[in-house]
Amino acid sequence: MSEFLREGFSLLFMGMGTVFVFLTVLVIGTTLMSKIINRFFGLPEPEAKGKRRPSTAEDLSELAAVAAAVKAVHGH
Amino acid sequence: MDKLNVLLGQSGLANLTLGQFSMIIIGLVLLYLAINKRFEPLLLLPIGFGAILVNIPGAGMYAEPIYAADGHLEAAGGLLYYVYSIGIESGVFPLLIFMGVGAMTDFGPMLANPKTLFLGAAAQFGIFGTIIGAVWMSSMGWMDFSLADAAAIGIIGGADGPTSIFVASRLAPDLLGAIAVAAYSYMALVPLIQPPIMRALTTKAERKITMTQLRVVSKREKIVFPLMVLVVVAMFLPSAAPLLGMFCFGNLMKESGVVERLSDTAQNALMNTVTIFLGLAVGSKLSADAFLNVETLGILVLGLAAFCVGTATGVLMAKLMNLMSKTPINPLIGSAGVSAVPMAARVSNKVGLENNNQNFLLMHAMGPNVAGVVGSAVAAGVLLSYLG
Repeated sequence: MSEFLREGFSLLFMGMGTVFVFLTVLVIGTTLMSKIINRFFGLPEPEAKGKRRPSTAEDLSELAAVAAAVKAVHGH
Repeated sequence: MDKLNVLLGQSGLANLTLGQFSMIIIGLVLLYLAINKRFEPLLLLPIGFGAILVNIPGAGMYAEPIYAADGHLEAAGGLLYYVYSIGIESGVFPLLIFMGVGAMTDFGPMLANPKTLFLGAAAQFGIFGTIIGAVWMSSMGWMDFSLADAAAIGIIGGADGPTSIFVASRLAPDLLGAIAVAAYSYMALVPLIQPPIMRALTTKAERKITMTQLRVVSKREKIVFPLMVLVVVAMFLPSAAPLLGMFCFGNLMKESGVVERLSDTAQNALMNTVTIFLGLAVGSKLSADAFLNVETLGILVLGLAAFCVGTATGVLMAKLMNLMSKTPINPLIGSAGVSAVPMAARVSNKVGLENNNQNFLLMHAMGPNVAGVVGSAVAAGVLLSYLG
């Protein structure tokens, strides 16, 4: 019966070992992959910011146009 | 009069055995849990109903087809027999579900913080620790589990329905019904099982740790990642390739953004169709002789232990990483490593908010959460290659 338990423990060590080795490889691979992609294609952040700025600038110009129109109407 | 006697003799009441009656009651309990308690209703409702159907005496829902000596079909088999042999015995249904899960998974939080993969690895200790538990119970003479049975029970700790069903159908088809019911019931109970363990293993200060905001992940990284996983699986652990391959396929369909129709079908229409049949087929394994025995009790106890141990090792690993890492890691996200997507991540978030109502851990916990899915699939691959 102790043979049976020993087999269980060997499965435990082999299993956890494989899981950790595999995921470590994935961690290294993922980190490298992200670094390579971000180096050659640039960081993705500007994309999000870039979209926002023109929209606020647009809002401002719209506001200016409305202000000008109001002034023009009330100017009479 | 004779005809009437024949009809009465074939009635359900005349043929019902005590075992079948008990299993119908168990089916009704599962329906109650699904409908009233909202325990994973998408699966427990079909499972419960399948259990009732298969235990109706004389209905032959699980009858095998009978072939004459010359090979022509004499009597067709029952619906559940065909659904089970086509979908589960072959391993097709769990793999299709895994494809759908892949199409629903966002690896973004994990790619932003790849270290969280270690949490998904640590929580798999629940699987292997439980195998030891099952082996120990057998060596004490309390239960009668083989090593393959023990492995199939341990995989409950992967907290991932399709993985559990896939492994159980390969290693211990007789225990499949009990294993699937235990896996889905405990997944529904994650919000009750995990918090006490998480609180017991962490200090108040640790639970208050705020984590640095995750960086934005580019679309390119998200497209390359599933391909990279596939290459790593193919190189190191081909026995996990069926599960992870389908998972990566689904994920690539989602992230590539060029096959939205396929991705939509994989995560909705196809997933729902397969879920119906998967549930019924699992339910059809709930027959009296396979379920009403002391082994089922052992499976339920060991399954619960698997969830608890996985939660604990995930939290402990996160504590260890917090000590070594430059950026702070809240140990509460470790418990999400057991998979049970997205429930376990929500639990981490909830316990975090209890201690600091400005601390939103959800996105941070999604990293270990999806890592847990990958981790349990890898563990499943190890078990299948060791014992298959």
